[in-house]
Amino acid sequence: MQHLTEEQLVLHHYHDGDGAAEVEKHLASCADCRAQFETLRRVLALVDSMPIPERGERYSEQVWTRLRWKLGSERRRLRHWQVGFAAAAMLAIAFVSGVLWHQRIATAPTLPQQSASSMPVKATPADRAKPNQILLVVVSDHLDQSERMLMELTNADAKHSYDMTEESKRAEDLVASNRMYRLTAQQRGETRIASLLSDLEPVLLELAHAGQSLSPAELAALQKRIDDAGLLFKVRVVSAQTKGTDSL
Amino acid sequence: MDLTDAAAVSRARGGDADAFRLLVDRHSNAVFRVAYRMTGNEHDADDVVQETLLRAYRQLARFEERANFGTWLHRIAINCSLDLLRARGRADKHYGGDPEEAELSGAAKSDAQQDRLLLSAELQKQVSTAMERLSGNERTAFVLRHFEGMPVEEIGKTLGIQVNAAKHTIFRAVRKLRESLEPLVKQQSRTKPCNT
Repeated sequence: MQHLTEEQLVLHHYHDGDGAAEVEKHLASCADCRAQFETLRRVLALVDSMPIPERGERYSEQVWTRLRWKLGSERRRLRHWQVGFAAAAMLAIAFVSGVLWHQRIATAPTLPQQSASSMPVKATPADRAKPNQILLVVVSDHLDQSERMLMELTNADAKHSYDMTEESKRAEDLVASNRMYRLTAQQRGETRIASLLSDLEPVLLELAHAGQSLSPAELAALQKRIDDAGLLFKVRVVSAQTKGTDSL
Repeated sequence: MDLTDAAAVSRARGGDADAFRLLVDRHSNAVFRVAYRMTGNEHDADDVVQETLLRAYRQLARFEERANFGTWLHRIAINCSLDLLRARGRADKHYGGDPEEAELSGAAKSDAQQDRLLLSAELQKQVSTAMERLSGNERTAFVLRHFEGMPVEEIGKTLGIQVNAAKHTIFRAVRKLRESLEPLVKQQSRTKPCNT
């Protein structure tokens, strides 16, 4: 009788082949095939010992910490079009304001008796209401992202270097938007938001310029700085205020 | 919280974050294991865990309560792993693992006068190296058949290939593993009497 092929042995091992009884019968009578099958069985048993890196006891907690932000984003997904719209509206407002301001300067010498009403004045509450709502929506998203970054940083193990390859790019983006929102908040009289963003900006800036990684000492110093300033707590409070009751 | 998976899913569907967290607590490690076997990379496996749970959350409405949540999640993890491998263009390439380094570690092995623990660590390293020598499809097909017990027909569907092609992919994977690991198995056989 012909010996069993390697394929037949593999199929037999996984109970995938037809004619299992015949294969069994052959194995019982053929020492060579039996030895081949035994080797195959032992090789595959060895594969079962493939090491899988241990995840710590707090793994699911770490997974959840990262995940809850994404889930929060999921819940706010319907709000994303509002954010896009808000950003576009802010740009439009900034553009129109710029044009009007330019026209005002250009026409100023020809209007010496200009009335008080046409002079730059502080925005009235009614004027502010709409842009401020827009600002809150946009800042809320910005604070979520910043909080997530701070969380990851404060939860990092300060005994090891902290990889900043991706983080510094994220921080760079956050610095740019932070600056824009801070200026807008100052202009719109949102002092609480402006103050928080002022506190946040140097930390984001440091992260943006951190390079490829933070040394354990740099990481520990940054963690202490965030902790001492209660930055994470402040971000959470203002973030909660800007978005009401969204808590997931 | 002492809830069954089905009850937790039901609550999570209603927006109960704690219920979904319970599912995350229960299943994260198992999802990591399957993701690691599929991707062969710790960081990729972590990403797959995140993506799997996120997809599961999005698709909770589609989960049938009579089904097993762990099995359902497992399936999502497999799909996420495949997506990640395809996105990185690794589906038909070797997984990495410097072949020269693999050779070196193979040579170092013959030097062994180690205790049982070190021998076991060395064996595990050899197994990892052998797995790294498989192409993406070979590794996926093998993992699905060997570790996940998935039928060949199902593996074909998952990989988008014919049943015969799936079968041959598994054969190739087993052959490569055998080529890499058979010397170890034989060495073990020879050294066993000395160890006892």
